[in-house]
Amino acid sequence: MSVTQPDTTLPLESIAVAQPSWLRRALRGLRTFVRRSPMSAFWACVAAAIIFMAIAAPALAPFDPVRADFRHMTKPPSELHWFGTDQIGRDTLSRVIYGSRASLTVAAGAVLLGTTLGAIWGLACGYFGGRFDIFSQRIIEFLQSFPDLILAMAIAMALGAGMGTVIVAIAITRIPFGGRVIRAVVLSLKELSYVEAARGLGASHMRMMARHILPQCIAPYLILATTHLGVAIIIEAALGFLGVGIPPPTPTWGNMLADSLNAGLVPPWWLVLFPGVAITLTVLAFNLLGDGIRDALDPRLRGAV
Amino acid sequence: MYSYIVRRLAFGAITVVGVSIVVFFVLRVLPGDPLVAIFGPEGFTKLSPEQRASYMAQLGLSDPLIVQYLRWVRDILSGSLGHSFFRSESVAEMIARRGPLTAEIAALSVVLSWLVGIPVAIVSALKPNSIGDNVSRFLSILFLAIPGFWLAMLIVLVLLFGLGYRAPLANVAFFTDPLANLQIVVGPAIVLGLGQAAYIARMARSSLLEVVREDYVRTARAKGLNNRLVIAFHALPNALLPVITLSGILLGFVLAGSIPVERAFGTPGLGYAMYTAVSERDIFVMQNLVFLYSIVFVLLNITVDLASAWLDPRIRYR
Repeated sequence: MSVTQPDTTLPLESIAVAQPSWLRRALRGLRTFVRRSPMSAFWACVAAAIIFMAIAAPALAPFDPVRADFRHMTKPPSELHWFGTDQIGRDTLSRVIYGSRASLTVAAGAVLLGTTLGAIWGLACGYFGGRFDIFSQRIIEFLQSFPDLILAMAIAMALGAGMGTVIVAIAITRIPFGGRVIRAVVLSLKELSYVEAARGLGASHMRMMARHILPQCIAPYLILATTHLGVAIIIEAALGFLGVGIPPPTPTWGNMLADSLNAGLVPPWWLVLFPGVAITLTVLAFNLLGDGIRDALDPRLRGAV
Repeated sequence: MYSYIVRRLAFGAITVVGVSIVVFFVLRVLPGDPLVAIFGPEGFTKLSPEQRASYMAQLGLSDPLIVQYLRWVRDILSGSLGHSFFRSESVAEMIARRGPLTAEIAALSVVLSWLVGIPVAIVSALKPNSIGDNVSRFLSILFLAIPGFWLAMLIVLVLLFGLGYRAPLANVAFFTDPLANLQIVVGPAIVLGLGQAAYIARMARSSLLEVVREDYVRTARAKGLNNRLVIAFHALPNALLPVITLSGILLGFVLAGSIPVERAFGTPGLGYAMYTAVSERDIFVMQNLVFLYSIVFVLLNITVDLASAWLDPRIRYR
């Protein structure tokens, strides 16, 4: 491997000059975002904190989330265990922290997979139209004839327990939303004169989609994805709560709530309160962040997404 | 109009048939032997291969899938719906016994969602960006983020520790003992109703704000009508159309949402039966319940479409 390092040969000034073109634009965009909607910026910070918590879980959690401790079983919050312990002595705080990993992984995976597939499908439907579009719309309507939780339950059961299957199950329920919204956007774009001009100049289908249609779809896609993160987190928790989510030793917020019901006739309050607060805060943060992004990028989409 | 209804119903019928096929085959590819679910892993290993084969034949699970599917269709048409692995009553009997409770919960939750959502939306829309508006908007966003089943668990806990009260767990029909029945139904209805109210308040607010800008509202104001009367008699009726559509769609999601909520309350309704079937891997009950939920969902969507076409003639010509 002959190492040539062109970067180090460049003088520092040229890097400093080369960066701002995009960096400054991004920073300026961020500053406008913060100034225009400080609330959304605050919730963006909360969302970032939750993501950080998931990444740094091993460093933040005071205990091993799956290790049982039979000297401290079903203990209320104390100085040692801030959020108390469950019926086999596992530390609730550590489990809540680790639970964010499962929730965020599933939500991000499901949205990336489902919304992206749906968006690409919607792009193709809107762009090509015709019989392909009609056929696709029927399939999408069909997918929408199941309530999403029930569809996710059936698919998760059929594929067997595991994180991958939960992601796929939730992703499938997200496809119709991506498809519908992006298709509508593309349909309205197709009539615009700059798109017609490009077609008149003889641009190929791929070039049309990549250069002229796709960039306009990024804003609605981003908004859709952030909004559906929240929905995906709630579905994941519900699946865990019903026992068809990620199988038990893995701490997830839904599993913890299900466990608390199995702890006895009356679930201890700390086992119920903390995982639920974690779900609510996370969903709230992503929903409000989504609203903020929508208002910043494209206020016309209010109500559409 | 009639051709619209016929088209909509025909498409609904095709969807229902498609749903039955998908539900059946999705649940048949379930990993794991159904006999393991019935006898438990230990009991399963004690069975001889002949016994396993005969049990499978008894359950009708050793026939080709097409035959099994046609048998299920026959069961649906005859109305018996087959039997659970574990319980003696047929699925149809179970639905007849538990269904009314869930239907009651769903209906009550819709009523509650309107009673809460619409006034909140009116207060919001009368003075946009006021303190009241901001508070109610935050509350509706908050209730979108709270999982219903967690709210249910909290309510159970608070009632138990605060008042020492626990709703009865036995299924009681409304006509035999209305009070006991209401005690079972009210909890889930409130939880599910608040969840819907959040959506309804948001939708009604934005729809009202749009309508308020219309010319006829300005005319009504110009002729000197009191602002409240303008909202109540001119703006609101037109603003409610998208809310009705939304409410119908939400009702379908309530049926799904009632599964974890009934589990949290311990309500003996259909949602709880679904939960039990899922945890017992009871595919006969599951296929029927998923199918039932989907039919209700499809019917609701058709009703919503027809209702909005009837209320707003512009929709039919699309």
